[in-house]
Amino acid sequence: MADLFKPLHDLFFFVSELPSSIELRESQYVWSLFEVAHVTSMCLFAGLIIMMDLRLLGIGNMQSPFSQLQKRLFPWQMLGMALSAITGSVLVFGDPMRFYANIFFWLKMLMMVIAGVNAMAFHYIAYFSVDAWDNARVPPLGAKLAGALGVALWGFVIIAGRLIPYNWFQNN
Amino acid sequence: MLQPYFQWMNDLAVSKAIGESIWIYPLVQAIHLVFLALFAGSLLIVDLRLMGWGMREQPVAKVARDARPWMILGFLGLVATGMPQLMQNAMREYFSEFFWIKMYVLPVALIYTFTIRQRVAMADESRVAPAMSKITGLASILLWIGGVAIPSRLIGLFT
Repeated sequence: MADLFKPLHDLFFFVSELPSSIELRESQYVWSLFEVAHVTSMCLFAGLIIMMDLRLLGIGNMQSPFSQLQKRLFPWQMLGMALSAITGSVLVFGDPMRFYANIFFWLKMLMMVIAGVNAMAFHYIAYFSVDAWDNARVPPLGAKLAGALGVALWGFVIIAGRLIPYNWFQNN
Repeated sequence: MLQPYFQWMNDLAVSKAIGESIWIYPLVQAIHLVFLALFAGSLLIVDLRLMGWGMREQPVAKVARDARPWMILGFLGLVATGMPQLMQNAMREYFSEFFWIKMYVLPVALIYTFTIRQRVAMADESRVAPAMSKITGLASILLWIGGVAIPSRLIGLFT
């Protein structure tokens, strides 16, 4: 196992030794600025994802056809995702070894991958028949499932992200 | 003026219990953020629409009426998960400028949302000037995100 993760460990370690990385983690203000920007981007991204998922579940934004929520919110969700990814990457760049040794960070990454798979699966399976249920009060099971998984997974991403500073399981 | 009250809150048995548990406080913080996402989503879907973006094909009133219950739920969740954090950190909050910025802007944002923003969102769109609508949405984002959410995050970072 240890050998398997060695390249990853070496990469994180290499980044942590870069002068720009050291400077970032030692500059209290720049670091904090990126933390604030990361949470703010999350509001845009996760907020509008939840709005869409509520419609998939058939419990929110019911006066709008699903395809309109999808089409009109998508660019904003992508903007939120890009900003979250950029600010998040800067934070990892600034303190790689702290994240490398953190179970919540890797749980968050795993949840994000699963959330991505969920979104793709929805897009290619349930969304295919959107014309049939675009205005339905009760969306089909596949759509509901995608909505429920979306809320749960992104919720876990947020929770795991917030727990990163509390590294209860780290043994130095 | 409020210091004795904050000291009292700080010394409550329940505040101490929250502080002594290693997981209650972090978990409350984390769930606070999930409610923040819900609140922000139901806020932004309307504000973007007011600014002429996002759900452009739907009337503002429809989008706003749909978003309202979720915004209220999000807000109640934020209060419910915010109170334990305040109690556990009462003295730190009392001496934090960012906490007071948040507490002063919060009632303004609430009143604004349920008066001006509500009226503009529910009004007959042909009678609302596009500029008026845009300013209403922008002011809402500035108040809630700029005046409440961002100072909140700064409480924990600069103390």
